[in-house]
This record gives sequence, structure tokens and C-alpha cells, in this order.
Amino acid sequence: MADVALTELLSPGSIRVDAAAQDWETAVRQVGAILVESGAVTGGYVDLMLERERSVSTFLGEGVAIPHGTLAGRELVLRDALCFVRYPQGVDWHGDDVRVCIGIAAQGNGHVPILAQLAEVLMEPDRADALRRAASPEAVLAILTPEEEPVS
Amino acid sequence: MASIDASDVHKLVVACDAGMGSSVMLASTLKKQLKGMPVTVEHTPVDRIPSDADLILVHQGLADRARATGPERVVVPFQLFIGDPAVASVVATLKNGGRIDG
Repeated sequence: MADVALTELLSPGSIRVDAAAQDWETAVRQVGAILVESGAVTGGYVDLMLERERSVSTFLGEGVAIPHGTLAGRELVLRDALCFVRYPQGVDWHGDDVRVCIGIAAQGNGHVPILAQLAEVLMEPDRADALRRAASPEAVLAILTPEEEPVS
Repeated sequence: MASIDASDVHKLVVACDAGMGSSVMLASTLKKQLKGMPVTVEHTPVDRIPSDADLILVHQGLADRARATGPERVVVPFQLFIGDPAVASVVATLKNGGRIDG
């Protein structure tokens, strides 16, 4: 379905498949920088992403973290957007091994279908593995495209 | 400690700090798991939990803030956004009946 909506939120230019970071803080700064560069947030948002990570980790399981700002950070969001950063060597995330960061900047709910799809993917070990191994923006987008929901 | 009967749960709220990330993930998973049941699932920031929420799921680190919004509220803390046993237990009780302790 809505491929257009997907790439509006997660543009191929905001996908990095070969990043490296020595710790979670560096990784969050890298993820935040992509959101700033793409015009999704102002620079102050990155500090709130770090603050959020210090209070409650955004590690989800299956090697995936979803760094995002705090409630106060919503006001620094200029445009709802996601970014995807893959760390093939892994990043120590408060003791968890993170291979994929999906950065979130959102005021509305437009990104919800993509996160719902992410939840689906992570509940199936094979698909979660495919996401961790996705080596091109096309592969990432193919896995995160929301599946057609039957109209209820 | 507050508790509620599964049949009295009409609105379940997943709360997190900003309401834009982790709570969204869990709420979408729960919606799917509770499909067809008379329970609505919402996600909100922890400071904006609606007054008619019957059951609140919240990350462990935010449980005190959620409880502070009303001592009579049933607040179930969890630690994992995917595959948490406390969440699985709530889903099972909602489906099969019984009491849910906050």
C-alpha cells in the first residue's frame, strides 16, 4: 500500500546501512544528526533524545532501539520523520547489543503504521534477522512497508 | 493495591514518556492481540492518561509517575516492549477472565 507515505516519513536519504559507534551516546547523536539534517527537528531535540535514553532505554529487543525525544521534545519537531541507522558491529546499549536504530521525530500519528509493522517484524525471528542484515535502503524499506490490513 | 476484573476493562492505555515511540509499538501489538474484544487500546504520554482508562500498562521506570495520576488506578508495569511476560499475562486474563492486579 502507501509506499509514498512510507518514503515521506522514512526517506532513502535518511537510511544508513553501514554506521559504527563506540557507545550508545555516540549512536544517538548520529541518529539525531540525521533527523536534524533532514529538517525533521531542531538541534535541541538531540539533547532530549539523550535525556530520554538515560531515563528509560528505548531498546526494544532483537537488536533494535528506537531513540526519540521526551514529551518536551515534541515541540522541537518540525515534521514527522523516521531515520534508520544500521550498526553491523553492534553498539553496547546499557548492556544490550544494538544493531539497528530507528530514530523517531513525531507530533502526530502518521508514523504509527510503520512502528506497528516494526513490531510485527520483531516478533518473527527470521524477519527480525533480515532487518538486522538489510544492506540497502531498498531492503530496509521493503521490510518496513506496512502490510495491507483488511478493512474492519 | 488496586485491581480490576477483566470484564470491567473497556479502555486500556499504554503510557510512555513522550507517547511517540515505545508505547506506540506496544499499543499496536495489543490492538492486534485483542482484536474482536470489547476493549479499546490507546497510547498516551504518562502525564496525559485519560481519566476513563481502566487499565494502564507502563514501562517500569515510569510506573510511579503513572500511579501518581490516581492511587485507585490499576497500573501494570512492564520491562520489555516486545514479549514481556507481564503484558502476556494481562492479555491472557483479558481473554480468559479473572482479576488483574496493579
